[in-house]
Amino acid sequence: MKPPKFRYHAPSSLDEALDLLATYGDDAVVLSGGQSLIPMLNLRLARPAEVVDIARIDGLGYVEAGECSVSVGALVTHRKMETDPEVARLLPMAREAAGLIGFRAIRNRGTVGGSVAHADPSAEWPAVLLALDGSVEMRSSSGVRQVDASDFFKSVFTTARRPDEIVSSVRFGSRFAGNWGFSEFQRRTGDFAVVVAAVACADSSDRSGETRVALAGVADRPVRCAEAEAALADASDPRAAAEAARDAFDPAGDAHGSTAYRKQLVYAQVLRAATQALTRRAGRRPDG
Amino acid sequence: MSAPEPRLFGARVPRVEDDRLLKGQGRFVADLDFAGSLYAKFVRSDESSSDIFDFDVGKALACEKVRAVFTGDDFAGAEIRCVSAYEGFQTSSQPILATDRTRFAGEAVAMVVAEDEYAAEDAAEDVFFSVLPLEPVAGLDDALGDGREPVHAGWTGHAFVRRSMATGGFERVAGSAAHRVTIELRNARHGAIPMEGRACVARYDRGSGLFELWTTTQIPHLIRAGLADALGVAESRIRVISPDVGGGFGVKAQLYPEEVACCLAARELDRPVKWVEDRREHFFASHHSREHRHQVTGYFDDDGVLTALEADIAVDMGAYSVFPWTSTMDCGMAMGILPGPYRVQEYSVTGTAYCTNKAPYGAYRGVARPAACFSIERLIDRIAKHRGIDRAEVRRRNLIGPGDYPWHSPSGLVYDSGSLPESLDKVLEASGYDRLLADQALARAEGRLFGIGLAVFTEQTAHTTREFQQRGVPIVFGYETAKVRLDATGTAVVSASIHDHGQGLETTLAQIAADRLGLRLEDIRVEYGDTDQVAYGAGTFASRSAVLAGGAVVKAADAVGDTLRQVAAHRLEASPADIVIGQNRLSVSGSPGAFIETAELCRLVYQRPESLPRGVEPILEASRTYDADPGTGVYTNAAHLASVEVDPLTGKTIVLSYAIVEDCGPMINPTIVEGQIFGGVAQGIGTALFEEFVYDDEARLLTSTFSDYLIPTMTDIPDFAVDHLETPSPHTIGGLKGMGEGGAIAPGAAIASAIEDALSPVGDAVVAELPLTPERVLALLNRAQQQGDQR
Ligand SMILES: Cc1cc2nc3c(=O)[nH]c(=O)nc-3n(C[C@H](O)[C@H](O)[C@H](O)COP(=O)(O)OP(=O)(O)OC[C@H]3O[C@@H](n4cnc5c(N)ncnc54)[C@H](O)[C@@H]3O)c2cc1C
Repeated sequence: MKPPKFRYHAPSSLDEALDLLATYGDDAVVLSGGQSLIPMLNLRLARPAEVVDIARIDGLGYVEAGECSVSVGALVTHRKMETDPEVARLLPMAREAAGLIGFRAIRNRGTVGGSVAHADPSAEWPAVLLALDGSVEMRSSSGVRQVDASDFFKSVFTTARRPDEIVSSVRFGSRFAGNWGFSEFQRRTGDFAVVVAAVACADSSDRSGETRVALAGVADRPVRCAEAEAALADASDPRAAAEAARDAFDPAGDAHGSTAYRKQLVYAQVLRAATQALTRRAGRRPDG
Repeated sequence: MSAPEPRLFGARVPRVEDDRLLKGQGRFVADLDFAGSLYAKFVRSDESSSDIFDFDVGKALACEKVRAVFTGDDFAGAEIRCVSAYEGFQTSSQPILATDRTRFAGEAVAMVVAEDEYAAEDAAEDVFFSVLPLEPVAGLDDALGDGREPVHAGWTGHAFVRRSMATGGFERVAGSAAHRVTIELRNARHGAIPMEGRACVARYDRGSGLFELWTTTQIPHLIRAGLADALGVAESRIRVISPDVGGGFGVKAQLYPEEVACCLAARELDRPVKWVEDRREHFFASHHSREHRHQVTGYFDDDGVLTALEADIAVDMGAYSVFPWTSTMDCGMAMGILPGPYRVQEYSVTGTAYCTNKAPYGAYRGVARPAACFSIERLIDRIAKHRGIDRAEVRRRNLIGPGDYPWHSPSGLVYDSGSLPESLDKVLEASGYDRLLADQALARAEGRLFGIGLAVFTEQTAHTTREFQQRGVPIVFGYETAKVRLDATGTAVVSASIHDHGQGLETTLAQIAADRLGLRLEDIRVEYGDTDQVAYGAGTFASRSAVLAGGAVVKAADAVGDTLRQVAAHRLEASPADIVIGQNRLSVSGSPGAFIETAELCRLVYQRPESLPRGVEPILEASRTYDADPGTGVYTNAAHLASVEVDPLTGKTIVLSYAIVEDCGPMINPTIVEGQIFGGVAQGIGTALFEEFVYDDEARLLTSTFSDYLIPTMTDIPDFAVDHLETPSPHTIGGLKGMGEGGAIAPGAAIASAIEDALSPVGDAVVAELPLTPERVLALLNRAQQQGDQR
């Protein structure tokens, strides 16, 4: 569990970091909080020649409220998302999700940008981004682009990001942020979730009836479940939504559960998250 | 001559070792940094059973900083063998590095030695060999069938050994019993997972021909014995030192090939060779434990009284017989202790230790007793259900009572003493049972799944010569040794053959020595772990160290005390019989003014030999051994009570409360006893809910990190309620009984019982498999539902 040899770079500005990525391309990886990358290096699952540590770069640690969105700099830690009053007010789902990531020591170091770039299919941030119509901003030495969360996550640990790009920030939509539900199944407190369900819906007065049901841990990337969204939008029926979600996916089994069991977990988490969202929409506080 | 007044025995003295350990001043093997050290990395097999050939180490050898690459043939002269004396035992011999055949996934096939750990690990990737996977004996299912070749050449079938026994009246009583129930129980393979993994550093001195092995072991003397065998050198040429060790729990109580390999490499290269296991290696190649399958049948009368017990026990011992226990230990212990705390007199049992292509199987806190407790306690719950009797009541009707001791168990054990019914009653009290029942009624009214579970057990501890003689092991672990030496300043060094890796023995042995020598706690230094310190001894395992080393300390301290008395009597012109030891002085009984400070007396002995009485030598030192009578162990007992809630949608179980009442005889230090219980129960919660080494059909290990092998963390462990009873053993010095393992024995049984109770409003589902993962509990809930629907 010792990493293979690599060269370590600690640029002090974003431009410098982007130049390094432009120079080394595929041979370089970005190091942010290190909570996923360092274990991968030690297990020799990642073998980069160059490691570009972005932790010393200023200006990527902000939380900024826009008109109907909130932008979060890539270096904002999970812990900041858990404790920041603005996040609590504007993105209560994000605060809830942040508190469920790992243990506090991990939340103190791990970053939102790192989690999104890492694209673990059972991570919280990607699911929350999908549920809240989010997008990811990336920069390279040749420019900036913004990609919708629904196009960003491609597969296990694979995203739309090019090797010369850095995830510079993510944007969460705050339109439905008040009517939210979030539920995940962990074997133990602090574990990666087995299944995550994030639900957001438009106000009852909003005739669009728009609803988002995003799931993590059911496929090779975070996904929205159209069938469950339809069931919620049409009938406001959490049970029907949960059944629809359960029937929509066949997650692969592993040591934490077979396919059949994971389907049951999808049912349980969607039921709970959808019930919370509808309860909040009705102006009440969910139980527990 | 009166014994010194106990002053520290029984006191809640803070642990003396904690100051050092908590300040980062402990010294562990990985901390050692000998000049000129080389670092080893082992190349391990991914396959379980495979032929390996065509080794190519050229590229690895050519790597920068690499000093050597060893393969099986280089170490072919050495092996680890441990042969049981049981009739029909089929033996194995474990190579230090696999030569042409691997037998478990993770077995070492090559050793790279380099100037640093990074270089070694880099070069390990450049060791090449061809692999031809073979059809493995992938587990008990394969071993119980007859479609697979045995793991070892020349074997007949897959059993290391199978043994049976039955009491004379079994057939008659079982045949005429009014009722019977049979259950099949499964305990997953898992392990101790100490915070510190294994590590060793070997040095070889060419001039003297002396090996020095620093290693993370619980049993330094036995490691030396095993090394002497494996290396073919005399014990006088080997020194084994085990410094601070970060948890053992049994996994560090076996000789491992890496220890032999580092010695051989150090001799070959004339440099210290250091190896520090990484966590992945720990999962693959440190010994596993706990994998039992039992079928038990209870025969009972209308009142739920168990009259006969029948059991078939199978244990998956993995690929090799381990030193020094052999591969018979778990099976034998389960056969012996299965009747447990109950008065049943007729018993028939068959036990088989199977050899499979999984990692070798060693000791783990409780050794087979968790599985035995699980079986008998689940059976008793079934009997309660069958007869419609309360679970506590059915236990009261069956438990061995205060008038039954010494109890001769149907498996031939002799229980010396105990307090089983009292511990049961007391745990109901300690757990707030009435309040739990009220909580349960409330929860059930709301449709929540709230359960309460019970488990009672008796634990064989501090077993010595007689027991190990019967077990057919090559070395009989009969006694422990202590040496007590007073210095010229009146303080003492206690050297012991046991090892302390969390048990608090540095404190408890000091408490005992201080009392016997009439000194203060801070006047005593306890040392252990170095084969040069005392003559011989076995080490720390089997809940024996406080009893045996404690007894040896009493004997050695008293011997030194006798010399002190003689000299003091001479100085004070009194009879030695009238000299009282205590409060750092020796005084004449009845004349408080006539005394001499212990420190002054010690100075005289060593520095003013002319002041000694004739015939007394100027040495205040004694070595003594203690082999606790009657040699078959003394019996600690306990009752555990758990309450749980099960999530009906996911099957996840939360342990809400946990109460323990334990009787380990007189407690040297109740705080340390409680610490041992709490740690054991925490590990038992792992057994109950989380821990499992999962192998695939080819016997490849799937759970090799902490994200897929789960251990309980802070948030999975409730607050504990604990209470004690103190029934002294009639046999041991001070009436002491062992207690280091007990905590880990009952949680599987108690939590399974609680889950079955939680599901019972839905329907009846027999909970008989551990760990109770959410998926398994959900399946049980579905079964309960089906059963409930049919009702
Ligand atoms: C014990 C444990 C439990 C955990 N539990 C959870 C959990 O429950 N839920 C969860 O979501 N996560 C969990 N994590 C992972 C944790 O959240 C990580 O912090 C996160 O996945 C990665 O963020 P990081 O800042 O640590 O990134 P790093 O580890 O530094 O990097 C991760 C990957 O992203 C790339 N990267 C990082 N930042 C950028 C960037 N700005 N631009 C481009 N590429 C970038 C890196 O090159 C690397 O490939 C856990 C980790 C541990 C060790």
